[in-house]
Amino acid sequence: MAELVGAFAASHAPLIARDWHLLSPTRQQEITTAYRELGRRLAAVRPDVIIELSPDHWTNFFLNNLPSVCIGVGDTHEGPAEPFMKDFPYKPLLGHTPLAQHLVKSALAQDFEPSISHRLTLDHGFCIPLWRMELKQLPAIVPIVINDLEPPMLSIRRCLAWGKFLARAIALFPERNLRVAILATGGLSHSIGEPNMGAIDEDFDRACIDAFKAGAEGPLVELLEARMEAAGNGTHEVRNWVIAHAAAGSRGFDLIDYRAVPEVYVGCGYASWRV
Amino acid sequence: MTDYWLSKLFFDLQAPGAGADYRADRSKVLARYPLAPEVRAAILADDVSFLAQRVNPYLLRYYFGAAGMSDEVFRRKLREGASEVKHG
Repeated sequence: MAELVGAFAASHAPLIARDWHLLSPTRQQEITTAYRELGRRLAAVRPDVIIELSPDHWTNFFLNNLPSVCIGVGDTHEGPAEPFMKDFPYKPLLGHTPLAQHLVKSALAQDFEPSISHRLTLDHGFCIPLWRMELKQLPAIVPIVINDLEPPMLSIRRCLAWGKFLARAIALFPERNLRVAILATGGLSHSIGEPNMGAIDEDFDRACIDAFKAGAEGPLVELLEARMEAAGNGTHEVRNWVIAHAAAGSRGFDLIDYRAVPEVYVGCGYASWRV
Repeated sequence: MTDYWLSKLFFDLQAPGAGADYRADRSKVLARYPLAPEVRAAILADDVSFLAQRVNPYLLRYYFGAAGMSDEVFRRKLREGASEVKHG
């Protein structure tokens, strides 16, 4: 059977790549230190596969076909496509078709209805954390696109259900000794293309972190349902963290770093769950 | 209120080379899309607040970046547009 060996989260602000040269040396060091620690922790659990949760920033999907959840079942993924990601070092991006197909089949058998893609292009949302963690060797990636960009979106309770489903499905995957990690990307608070673009709601972010640390699902759901919408449209990406949280058993996480980074418009957080 | 063809225009401009083609001849590219006259006019006038009410904010941000507008100017126009709406 496969084993869930770790669950992690990281922000993925595109300006970390696009405007890296504009950041102060101190800011660069802060961001680098956080991603490296995340990478150190991820490498320490020796994953064979990373199930990565991220939104699609209008790269694969458009209004004529906009899945709430899409699982990438290909043995290879394209990307990243953005010009500012041209130095992304891990190409080709390999998938893990047997595990991905197992997730799809298990989902349908348990009343979840993901769409599938045999050839996803992974954008900065997937690739910035993979890049900045500086892993010596990138494990296979099973990408799961969560619609965090265009309403309507998954409810927070449904995200919890997805997380629990993923944990069950991983445990039932028949390949022996396959080590699987989950990486949720995006968040915390940010606002893009809205009148308050650039605003970071540190108070919300701190409350959110406290709720994840504490573990209990009820208060987390209450907090997010009450305040996530007002914390900026990019904050919807916290859904991915919720899925990872539930997959890890909702036992709380260790915060690696959090700081508001106005230069990249994002409250940047990094965490690893207690699995 | 989502404007499908406006959104499609912004989405399509992400393709390699499409932004350069657009900057070289906006009218030629716009002619490919069945845009309402007032939407087309708003595009040509860089009317951020008008377009913001009709398209996903991420696509809006991408479009104005590709069209050459700095983040600073884009954010100012967003704020001014919201203020005009608020104060009638």
